[in-house]
Amino acid sequence: MSHIFWSNIFNRPTSELQSIVELWQDTPLFENIPTRHVQFLSKKMHVRSFMAGERIFQLGSQGAGALMVLEGSVQIRADTTELALLKLGDFFGEIALAEPEKRTADAYSVTNTRLVYFLKQDLEEWIEYEPRLGSRFLMNLSAILARRLSLANKEMVTL
Amino acid sequence: MSLPIFFKTQNAYTQTIKLFACMIAIVLAGFYLLSAVIIPIVISLTLYAIFEPATLYLVRHNVNHSLSIIIVLVFLVFFSFIAIGFALPQLIEQIGLLQAKLPAIFSKLEGFLTHYSAEFSDQIGVDLDVSDMIVSTVSQSTLLGQSFLLNFSNKLLGVTIVFLLVPFLTYYLLKDFRSLRNHMMNWLPNTSFELGWLIYHRVSKQLQAYTRGVMIQSIIMSLVCMTGFSLIGLDIPILLGVITGILNLVPYIGPVISILLSLLVSSAMTPFDPSLLYLGVLVIVIAQIIDNVIVIPAVIANAVNLHPVQVILGIIIFGNLFGTLGVILAIPAIATAKIIFNNLYADILNENQKQSL
Repeated sequence: MSHIFWSNIFNRPTSELQSIVELWQDTPLFENIPTRHVQFLSKKMHVRSFMAGERIFQLGSQGAGALMVLEGSVQIRADTTELALLKLGDFFGEIALAEPEKRTADAYSVTNTRLVYFLKQDLEEWIEYEPRLGSRFLMNLSAILARRLSLANKEMVTL
Repeated sequence: MSLPIFFKTQNAYTQTIKLFACMIAIVLAGFYLLSAVIIPIVISLTLYAIFEPATLYLVRHNVNHSLSIIIVLVFLVFFSFIAIGFALPQLIEQIGLLQAKLPAIFSKLEGFLTHYSAEFSDQIGVDLDVSDMIVSTVSQSTLLGQSFLLNFSNKLLGVTIVFLLVPFLTYYLLKDFRSLRNHMMNWLPNTSFELGWLIYHRVSKQLQAYTRGVMIQSIIMSLVCMTGFSLIGLDIPILLGVITGILNLVPYIGPVISILLSLLVSSAMTPFDPSLLYLGVLVIVIAQIIDNVIVIPAVIANAVNLHPVQVILGIIIFGNLFGTLGVILAIPAIATAKIIFNNLYADILNENQKQSL
């Protein structure tokens, strides 16, 4: 068994990494992306903890990437109106993976929450070395964004 | 990003300036603490920026991380030895030649300035004794040169130890920089986490592009000038070419110094050939045209987006504060500061607007 002093403290525990990989694989973002690559990207992701009621990001702030709920729940809201309540495995903020756009809503943790950050810079680096899989990922991303846009359009029509 | 109360009293611009000033103070304190090893750190970071893509390429082709770093470093050492083995004897020989020519260069300079100062004095009616000024300047610069050489030999051991650090630091940067960076970024509070990564991403992208760009630019400029100086038959072409390539790191001012240097060397040649004066300048002008028309658009384009006035002022201020290292680091430092300031400002402005709603 390796001693705590000498072991690499920067490495993420395997079980947590495995659950991050599995959760991402269940999302449409990583559809048809081989496990090896999801694992490679997941190793680069960042897990952050938020207290209940803590702000995750706010409308208008610059987004560095997408986030996925690893534990707890997240409320997406515009002013005081709840737009969505996200639970384990749900992802949000994916627009920032496509464009360095400003966040389009506020996000708050409802309970004590753990989130995984998937940064745009890690995606860009991966695409540089894996352009074929990268284009597949970008197709997945554009399909998700198109679906969200069409839903938003339908909602506007009904208003 | 939520700020402590000290920053919250004025508008977004003032808040950003306060926060930015604190950051600069921390960076300067860091520089002061690390001043003894700042040169090997800068060299190692430069080598890291150049060689990281090669190690990542090997890692992606299933080569073990440590092994890929060793392969890259072995190549680096191997080619450095070949380059040094080839160029160093010639450079030493040419430095000796330049040293032998220095008295002739100074006397030419003195003759030239005395002649023109006499004409100038006649025209404005004021007596200028440039000859005395030159003699004192030359003797001062000779003393300065001697003390530099003396200091250099005294510090040779220190310099050797410092440069032994470079491969060691480069190896560990290539091996652990990313883990260390992630670990440090995790210290950021949740409110600044995304902004921190955004700034880091923009700065690192720009610095890597700039570092690789100027390295390629310097090598091309050195080769073009070496070839040109050899073709026109100027003395010490290799040394002059290398100096011109290095001086090219300093925009606007570097090429002017290169031209003056080539003028001085060609004026000290025996027998004196006036056409060499023009040809030497022509070589540098052609090299500058190649640089501006081909190299810069292809290699450095948009790596840094600074106004010429910002560049010149930055070089003067950094040169004054940190010497030669400051002159070389001025542009990347200003470009970095600009990105950090703009991003902080945008974020604070957004926070303020949100709170005022």
